[in-house]
Amino acid sequence: MPAMDYGDAVACAPVTVPYVRRSDKGAAWWLGSALRKLLEVSGLDKAQIDGLCLSSFTLAPDGPAPFVQYVGLSPRFLEFLPTGGACGVMALRRAARAVQCGDAEIVACIAGNANGPTSFQDLVSQFSSFSRDCVWPYGAGGPNQSFALLTEHAMRRTGATREDFGKLCVAQRRWAQRNPLALLRSELTLEDYLAARPIAEPLHLFDCVMPCAGADAFLVMRRSRAQALGLPCARILATIERHNAFLEDPIQWRGGWAMDAEALWRQAALGPSDMDVVQTYDDYPVISMLQFEDLGFCAKDDGAAFIRSNDFTPGGSLRHNTGGGQLSCGQAGAAGGFLGLVEALRQLASDARHALVGGFGMINYDRGLCTAAAVLAR
Amino acid sequence: MTPIAEMGVHAKAGKLALQRCTACGAMQYPPRELCWRCLGDDLEWRVSDHEPAEVLATTTLHNSHDTHLRLRLPLRVGLVRLDAGPTAVCFLAESCQTGARVVVGSETDNAGRAVLTATPI
Repeated sequence: MPAMDYGDAVACAPVTVPYVRRSDKGAAWWLGSALRKLLEVSGLDKAQIDGLCLSSFTLAPDGPAPFVQYVGLSPRFLEFLPTGGACGVMALRRAARAVQCGDAEIVACIAGNANGPTSFQDLVSQFSSFSRDCVWPYGAGGPNQSFALLTEHAMRRTGATREDFGKLCVAQRRWAQRNPLALLRSELTLEDYLAARPIAEPLHLFDCVMPCAGADAFLVMRRSRAQALGLPCARILATIERHNAFLEDPIQWRGGWAMDAEALWRQAALGPSDMDVVQTYDDYPVISMLQFEDLGFCAKDDGAAFIRSNDFTPGGSLRHNTGGGQLSCGQAGAAGGFLGLVEALRQLASDARHALVGGFGMINYDRGLCTAAAVLAR
Repeated sequence: MTPIAEMGVHAKAGKLALQRCTACGAMQYPPRELCWRCLGDDLEWRVSDHEPAEVLATTTLHNSHDTHLRLRLPLRVGLVRLDAGPTAVCFLAESCQTGARVVVGSETDNAGRAVLTATPI
């Protein structure tokens, strides 16, 4: 049975608590500050927020219920989505159903991470039981190590070269130079990219996101409510999510998007070529290439050719990762799963009509487990 | 004792122990407290000197978050598919390239954990 539409539930009010490389502030400060910004831009009172979707990797020992006491909320709908890069779309689709079905009127979707002196090491060394027991002892390279293996395989499969991935990274840096919220805005040339030091071959420095602290958030409510508040809003045409797809594949050469892309485009009644803006999840450039393939922007195995035949810089053939992506903004833990979504909402509030947002999360052992995507319209 | 700790006991004796489900025959790694396929919890250890495998992907690590492992950089690490079924992250002997046939053995590291190493056949 095809999924129901999302009625008049809309997403609006994208906000960012500006990222910083390191901070002594805890996760509750980042998440709570994002909530304050949501109230500022919407003019809503805190008591009117009756739903909350929360994501963080650094909130422990607190969970979602301790957080609502911390910030004095009384929601009647509460979700906690510790699913990394897929959490933005997952929050959106849960919040939209809650609003559509009347379980909540206004849902705040918030993701944020702290980044103290040892936060990142603490996170990756204890990320999951499989990761701790069966990946960490092999060099303690963190996600760079796992994505290096996926990247090497994808390069063999598609013929993609470092120059192809460099093209994506350099283009995103050009977009970041227009985004005051991006942490990395200095010029990056393809020569700089190619000359960078190796981290986990074939990955070099500029293939890897920079861990940082920060938070992103948005609101979900009925369209009439958003209009009454004067907030530009985006309709939700279609969404998908999938976890642990293709578990028989010995190595991850396709993501869960490949299982669900057809349903996504059918529900949206649009295709990849209708998208004015594309926000792929870019914790590493190879994952953007996988999304181009698996979400139908090109045929499978044609990812490298697709990169070569497009211009991703401002004014180019594909408006891709227009805020600079995580590769230039930094990765604020779980907020990385929101970055593309809040950027899409900003583009839709500007001049874009249709946007695609991809999500990818949770390298638990040998592959990313969670995939998601959404098609939005102004 | 946890399954990973049991693997460590075998590794200390130089043996590779893989879990096998007595109900459905599924082999699994990383070890678990029940079978990923049929969810039964009667698992046995298949213990050997080493298991044959194929290298699926390789990397050379130049960066580590662990102070002891940092001393051993650069480290070659790969993903292998065991002929028995599961895939495993392994240390790689120098000559193990992607696509190579290898054997995977187990030993303990300085923290007493079971670690796997692939060497050419």
